Amino acid sequence: MVKAMHETSIMYSAMEIVLEKAKESNLKKINRITLKIGELTGVMPEVLYFAYENASKGTIAEGAEFHIDRVKATARCDKCDIIFDIDHFNKLCPDCSTFSSDILSGYELNVNTIDGE
Amino acid sequence: MGEIKVVTNILNSNNKLTAQNRKLLDEKGIYVINLMSSPGSGKTSILEKVILKLKNDLRMAVIEGDLYTTKDAERIEAQGIPVVQINTGGACHLDGNMIKNALESLNLDEIDILIIENVGNLVCPAEFDIGEDMKITVLSTAEGNDKPLKYPLMFEKSGAVILNKIDLIEYTNFSREEFYNDIKSINANAAVFETSCVKDQGIEELCVWLKSQIKLKS
Ligand SMILES: Nc1nc2c(ncn2[C@@H]2O[C@H](COP(=O)(O)OP(=O)(O)OP(=O)(O)O)[C@@H](O)[C@H]2O)c(=O)[nH]1
Ligand SMILES: [Mg+2]
Ligand SMILES: [Zn+2]
Repeated sequence: MVKAMHETSIMYSAMEIVLEKAKESNLKKINRITLKIGELTGVMPEVLYFAYENASKGTIAEGAEFHIDRVKATARCDKCDIIFDIDHFNKLCPDCSTFSSDILSGYELNVNTIDGE
Repeated sequence: MGEIKVVTNILNSNNKLTAQNRKLLDEKGIYVINLMSSPGSGKTSILEKVILKLKNDLRMAVIEGDLYTTKDAERIEAQGIPVVQINTGGACHLDGNMIKNALESLNLDEIDILIIENVGNLVCPAEFDIGEDMKITVLSTAEGNDKPLKYPLMFEKSGAVILNKIDLIEYTNFSREEFYNDIKSINANAAVFETSCVKDQGIEELCVWLKSQIKLKS
């Protein structure tokens, strides 16, 4: 059994969604796929690009342009009512330095759009 | 034909199953812990110690995730509580579907706390919710204090971090100061415990805290 790598299994799940949506829309060929991947996920885009080739092989998405949009990580401070950029190692409000647990974006793992005919 | 907006979470099927698991577990009033770490940090050893302390007060059960073997499940079975083994057959994490199947072989009416030992891996399990109330990550002193910085996601999502093998710290270059600073910057809300399964240190504190968390839920 092949060791199911993180990005590989995620790519296969993404392909399932893509092909299902394409079928619903009666697409015969997919030309372009875009994903939205948040900065805080453990998913590495380079590895996804690599996994995409295998996952799309022999499907109507083979050869389609594949694009990943990175989504910035942001959080909100309830006290100051502001939204600010964060990363894994800094989640402090720039105004009051409170640690924010209210993360608004950065964990996205979405199939965003498909384009085809 | 133009662009089709899909906007669907890639982990959708996992999330759906996980939501079902969570609903079922909530209905039964079961507190669920997802226990994670790299291979060999001491997940099963901590479990053995915790079970010994808590099994008289709480009805416990364990799900053991393992790539191929039943070794850990046998260790838990020896403690005399219900255990279900999931062999992932090479997959690097547990998912909602595996948990759903495992739940079918437990008597959910007779469980207060369910602890799920995830596959030893510091990366993938962090991404997949499996219906837990809380994630706990174990790090052992022998692995080095740089792990939270190198693998922040798991620590970020955890309600508690257990620093295990504290008995070995003097033989390593593990820096407590850097470790606590890093955990604070990644996840200031995490409770941190220092344990040794060999010297039986810190287990009591951990158990007291676990009980308080379970009370908070019920
Ligand atoms: N010195 C010392 N050794 C420990 C401690 N806790 C566990 N060990 C040892 O570390 C090894 C691995 O422990 P396990 O409990 O099997 O670790 P695990 O995280 O369950 O491992 P996997 O399930 O394989 O990922 C065993 O040989 C334990 O005896 C501790 O606190 N101190
Ligand atoms: Mg184990
Ligand atoms: Zn603020």
